[in-house]
Amino acid sequence: MKKNFKYIIGMGLVTIMATSCKKTLTEYNPGGSTAEAVYTTPAGFETLVNAAYSYQRWWYGKEEGYSLSEMGTDIWTSASGDVYPDLNKYINLQGSDGAVKQMWQQLYAAVNLCNTGINRIGNAGYPAATRTTREAELRFLRAFYYWHIVETWGGVHFTTTETTSIITTANKTPVETFYKQIFDDLQFAVANLPTTTSDYGRVTKYAAEAFLSRMYLTRGMNQQASNAAMDVIKKGGYVLQPNYADLWLMSNLQNKEVIYAVNYSANLSLDDLKDNILYPFGHARGGNNGHLEFIMKYDDQPGMLRDIANGRPFNRYMPTLFLLNLYNEADDARYDGSFKNAWFANNTATLPAGIKLGDTAVITSKLTIPTATKATKKYRIYDRASCYKADGTTLDNIHCVQLSKFMDPTRPDVNQQISARDVFVIRLAEMYLNAAEAQMNLGHLDSAATLVNVVRTRAAKPGHTVQMQVTPAQINLDFILDERAREFAGEQIRWFDLKRTNKLVERVKADNPDAAPNIQSYHTVRPISQDQIDAVTNRNEFKQNPGYQ
Amino acid sequence: MIKFYKKARKAFCGLKPHFFLFGPIFLMFVLCSATSLGQQGGITVSGTVKGTNNETLPGVSVSLKGTTTGTTTDVKGVFTLKVPNSQGSLVFSYLGYTTLEMPISGRKMLSVTLKEEQKNLNEVVVIGYGTVKKRDLTGSVASFKGDDLTQVPAANVMESLQGKVPGADITRSSGQAGAGVSITLRGNRSILGSNSPLYIVDGVIYYGNIADIDQNEIASVDVLKDASSTAIYGSRGANGVIIITTKRGAAGKTEVDANSYNGVSQASMYPKVATGPEMVALRREAYRASGKWTSPANDNLVFSPYELTAIANGLYTNWQDLVLHRGSQEDHQVGVSSGSEKTKMYTSLDYYRENGLFKNDNLTRYSGRINLDHTVSDKLKIGMQAQIVYSSQNVRTDPLNQANKINPIGEAFNPDGSIVMYPTQASAINPLADEQPGVWADNVKGNRTFAAAYAELTPIKGLSIRSNLSANLTNSRTGIYAGSFTITRNGGVPRANYNTSNGTDLLWENIVNYHKQIGQHTFDLTGIASYQDRSNESGSMQGDNQLLSSQLFYNLSAATQGVAVATGYTKQDIVSGAGRINYSYQGKYLLTLTGRSDGSSKLAEGHKWTFFPSAAAAWRLSEEDFIKKIKPINDLKLRASYGVAGNDPYDAYATQSLLTNVPFSYGETPAQGYTFNPTIGNRDLAWERSTTLDIGVDFALLNSRISGTVDVYSTHTNDLLLPRGLPPSDGILKTNQNIGQTANKGIELSISSVNIKSSNFSWNTSVTFTKNVEKITSLVNAGVNDIGNGWFVGYPVQVFYDYQKIGIWQTSEAAEAAKYGQIPGTIKVKDQNGDGKIDATNDRTVLGTPRPKWSGGLSNTVKYKNLDFSIYIYARIGQMINANSLNFSDNQGLQGNTWASNLDYWTPENPTNAYPRPNSNGGMQYVSTLAYTDGSYARIRDISLGYTLPQKLTGNVFKRLRVYVSGKNLFTWSKLKNYDPERGGSENFPMTKLALAGINATF
Repeated sequence: MKKNFKYIIGMGLVTIMATSCKKTLTEYNPGGSTAEAVYTTPAGFETLVNAAYSYQRWWYGKEEGYSLSEMGTDIWTSASGDVYPDLNKYINLQGSDGAVKQMWQQLYAAVNLCNTGINRIGNAGYPAATRTTREAELRFLRAFYYWHIVETWGGVHFTTTETTSIITTANKTPVETFYKQIFDDLQFAVANLPTTTSDYGRVTKYAAEAFLSRMYLTRGMNQQASNAAMDVIKKGGYVLQPNYADLWLMSNLQNKEVIYAVNYSANLSLDDLKDNILYPFGHARGGNNGHLEFIMKYDDQPGMLRDIANGRPFNRYMPTLFLLNLYNEADDARYDGSFKNAWFANNTATLPAGIKLGDTAVITSKLTIPTATKATKKYRIYDRASCYKADGTTLDNIHCVQLSKFMDPTRPDVNQQISARDVFVIRLAEMYLNAAEAQMNLGHLDSAATLVNVVRTRAAKPGHTVQMQVTPAQINLDFILDERAREFAGEQIRWFDLKRTNKLVERVKADNPDAAPNIQSYHTVRPISQDQIDAVTNRNEFKQNPGYQ
Repeated sequence: MIKFYKKARKAFCGLKPHFFLFGPIFLMFVLCSATSLGQQGGITVSGTVKGTNNETLPGVSVSLKGTTTGTTTDVKGVFTLKVPNSQGSLVFSYLGYTTLEMPISGRKMLSVTLKEEQKNLNEVVVIGYGTVKKRDLTGSVASFKGDDLTQVPAANVMESLQGKVPGADITRSSGQAGAGVSITLRGNRSILGSNSPLYIVDGVIYYGNIADIDQNEIASVDVLKDASSTAIYGSRGANGVIIITTKRGAAGKTEVDANSYNGVSQASMYPKVATGPEMVALRREAYRASGKWTSPANDNLVFSPYELTAIANGLYTNWQDLVLHRGSQEDHQVGVSSGSEKTKMYTSLDYYRENGLFKNDNLTRYSGRINLDHTVSDKLKIGMQAQIVYSSQNVRTDPLNQANKINPIGEAFNPDGSIVMYPTQASAINPLADEQPGVWADNVKGNRTFAAAYAELTPIKGLSIRSNLSANLTNSRTGIYAGSFTITRNGGVPRANYNTSNGTDLLWENIVNYHKQIGQHTFDLTGIASYQDRSNESGSMQGDNQLLSSQLFYNLSAATQGVAVATGYTKQDIVSGAGRINYSYQGKYLLTLTGRSDGSSKLAEGHKWTFFPSAAAAWRLSEEDFIKKIKPINDLKLRASYGVAGNDPYDAYATQSLLTNVPFSYGETPAQGYTFNPTIGNRDLAWERSTTLDIGVDFALLNSRISGTVDVYSTHTNDLLLPRGLPPSDGILKTNQNIGQTANKGIELSISSVNIKSSNFSWNTSVTFTKNVEKITSLVNAGVNDIGNGWFVGYPVQVFYDYQKIGIWQTSEAAEAAKYGQIPGTIKVKDQNGDGKIDATNDRTVLGTPRPKWSGGLSNTVKYKNLDFSIYIYARIGQMINANSLNFSDNQGLQGNTWASNLDYWTPENPTNAYPRPNSNGGMQYVSTLAYTDGSYARIRDISLGYTLPQKLTGNVFKRLRVYVSGKNLFTWSKLKNYDPERGGSENFPMTKLALAGINATF
């Protein structure tokens, strides 16, 4: 018996030893890649810088970005398809909002990558000159992302270190600390970036300086803001497009007015659509989506069917009556250059009597069209009275005047959601208006009027330049904000402009009757994403922004 | 339950010679009795049959050996039988008693005593790395053989066990061709790890689709549930173990089995969507609500010109009818069993074909098996089992999603019979688009080679040393071509994909068994060393806009844009050593001790190894004298076990922080990016451990007519592998950590009863009942819920967390509604904290869980002469589902059709509390609250009627020939009148009901 036991145990040991060599249990992952392997060569580090730029695509040209940067202001309200009416009209706005969640995640992921790059660039093996340029780019990007964070959420989490292990706490850092870092980073960028680049989309010296002027203006540093803007105007080599409408031609994307743009590619596989192979953690829609968001529902109208030229109507947003009223379209080319008011019959199957293919099928108007006039027309008319109630709240949020800046007739097919349209983040007109606002704040209304008139002269219809000129007496903050609305409507800046000038609550209450009853003083920062609140372990220190649940 | 099956089967087996051989002859005898009686001379034999306790036994079958002559005892146990002469023997058989053969030896009066049979307790149950007699079992094991497995013909053997395994929650995942079943044993323990039980096929760990093993090839299925039974599998046993043993050859005459069935299927219950006229009414109401419609005079503002024409002419389309068809299912299998004393062989060929409910939704599978055992010498045995499976599945993008959403106003076809690509002039593509020739292909080809070889050495008596080497090689190819006008591309450029996957799964195990009896002490010792290596390589290719659709996915070089490729590799290893001692004293006191050490490559350095111990004891009370005195008790066993099992992460590389690629460009110049994966590696990742206490009773009563098993258990899982959400301010979203705890407590019961048993007629009933309570007991921060992930302490792992609808705001409540920003006709939800406003933080609550409160099965089997009939009812009660059909997602009435037919929605004239008022202005809140509903159901899972042809007709060709018809899911009781709740809420790939006819033949 004893002998047998020995035999068994011996056999057992032999078999166990034969199979359990320690080496078999190491993780073997030849397909994986780590930061240590990739970010330590010049070619590898380039991928970090490229990826650091790519996070801009989560904000610019995306529904989440539009809802956070243009909506909830005086110039837009919800159309029927709005996915984030809480951001638009402040109804029950909470940290559970999907746009807030997505942008909180992506902006901090971008900051973490920038921090990683800035801290690791010494090990990248770059020649000194390249190293400085890449560091300047990453520092610009960090400042750029931190500005979005601090303006959207206020004094929230701040760090300049890379996340290398599990961290379950977050800090609340004063807004001043963010801006100190933003100015540090941008000044480094301006001092070290080249003035031009052959890589369209990379930041240049003047792009960084233009953004710096926006930062100075935001912090009330008017002289610096003016200086920076004027430096860009004088030395940057940028030129206003002669016709405002030309800014939005797909054939004119890389025009001389653009100081800084977020690049999208006509090769859709280089864009950011989530794809199991190309981009496993990509965006659910991908590309520039601006063309979808503002389009009214035209494809159920008599004589109309959906086509590439007229676009795919998501019908998310519509202008407030206030925005439409801001334009004097007789003189100002920006109304026609920004909005679409007519649709032409393209569907033989549903042509109304008396209308041929190519004839006007649908008209939208900011004016009230008399019923008698309407009765004489064979086409459908949606006018002021059908779109808005007397108090300015929306009546018909399906058919109304639509923003046409981002339409893209070059998309390959009618339902294609990805547009290759680059997003203009900063263009030269902003430098004039930044400088004008700074000059106004410094008490120099003459200079301010001169600068504003540069923009308005370009905006004038042929022969209407004189009517478009303003005098120093007309210049005040409200005028500047009105002008910025006329110039930049839809360009993902409005919410920041109103917040910067402390006019958000006042103007929404006055000019956006759909949102007016709901907006509160605490809405000048957005709610912190609920998954952040849920995940932190220092809940007593890291709390939701005041006013939100 | 287990006992019942064994007993019942044994009874049938015991009866088989009578029933299947003599039965038909007996029948013939009855038919011919008019003539035969008169010709018989002979003598009459009579007598009384009693049990060992001197009780008389009614209904005992008495027959003259080798003839058709027979009778049964009456209520007093008395029989009378005419026999030709006083030679020969009488055979007495009775359920639960040993069959007795008694020579007549010239007697006319016979006194017969039948002994109670204990045979079923000696039946062998397969446990991990060995077998035990059922009487010596210490753990909780459910065991199935023969009829249990094949009574319900199914594409997947586990489907035929639905409701028969106490503690198992088995549901079919959808009605798609080849859809799998989802199985959990005793609830869900793990969040990140797997909750699927481990499959062992012929002693080898099996990863992959269990449907690949045809149910006719399977000799037995044993389900191991408690920690003591599963501990021998260590880490992989935490979710229970299902051991499948395929048939093997036997020495003797070659036996051929052929099984075949054909069936037709259709959607079992499926909700209708709004008809054209209903849609018209609803759209008008939506625009009336927003003030744009007052009478049909305004229709031109509400409907497009195309729709107006269609409405005027009554042109509507029922899209469901166009896409839903009848499906079919068929299976044909031949198995051959043969062997000599030294070499035994079993081989089988199977063909399975299923057509789903849509065109081009089908699966074809061919499989072949050969099992070989050869005795080299009295000390060495070798063998091999090998299975080859080839399958080809055509996958269809579910068109119902489109059909249920598309506008019913208008027509699907052009006058020339071609489809209208965008019906009603709108943007939604025709649900029939993918059925157009040449536009769509999605074909999955799979090959599996599953082979194992063994050598077993028995150098001395009682000692065996066995080495198993197995390989499970899988490769699959998925080819997809989607033309421009298909549901997925919707007018975009055509896209082709070609994806391959190659899996290599190698397992080498060495097992030593030693059996020794010393007096009344019996020892069984087992030692195991095991090494498993699993690796997978994959490749994916994608390209857009090829010129010729006829090239499908066979020429990706033709793609002119969007070309993308990826390859991947994963590898995971487990090294283990295990030992087990089974000890029995007098067959009365039983003890099992098990220990296993597992090392996993998927865990962090320093945390790779762990030890899983367990102990179990059983006491066979019925062997004790004081129980033996209690006559009604035939068998009674108390069992208790306690042990630990574990789990490692499902996916490899959870300890590593990796980068992920980002496509980017400057201008049009590609610029590859790499950024951090949103999940950061955890360098401390360790084992998840589940501790289970199980107490059970096995019993057999009243001459074993009633037998059953009861188990209560409690499982605590610690160091839960949790995909933990990190503060996104880290720039990282998740990590995998050992945090949190879950608990599962439950009771399982199975009882079977032999209601009637006689030579011509039998009726058996069995009942199973399962109740499991699953709870998360702790998460990242003790006592704090993880709302982001939907995990709540005190609730199951999966719950529905939302606002709670309490009605619709009525006109009289307008002022109150306004306080919440609502108007009459919108959804009223409960203000849970009563603060006068509705917000996501305070007013959402756990509404329910998809886990059932209990589930159970009731099966009845009746045999009358050559007819057999069975009906099986399954119930799953108390679960909540989120039924899409109850939703109201396009509440604006703009274009789509997501409403159920006959929907009770609010209007000023219809102040219902069921559904809100459609409103073309949109912005409706809390719509998701509408679809939560009680998903309880009970259904006749299977109803079968079979007839075994008399030997007279089948002659010498067949040993046995049975024909049957069967219906699956023919009747369902549920609160949802037109939706099959087993589908779980989705409207895609509806569940099916199936009617089939088949044949079982043995040559």
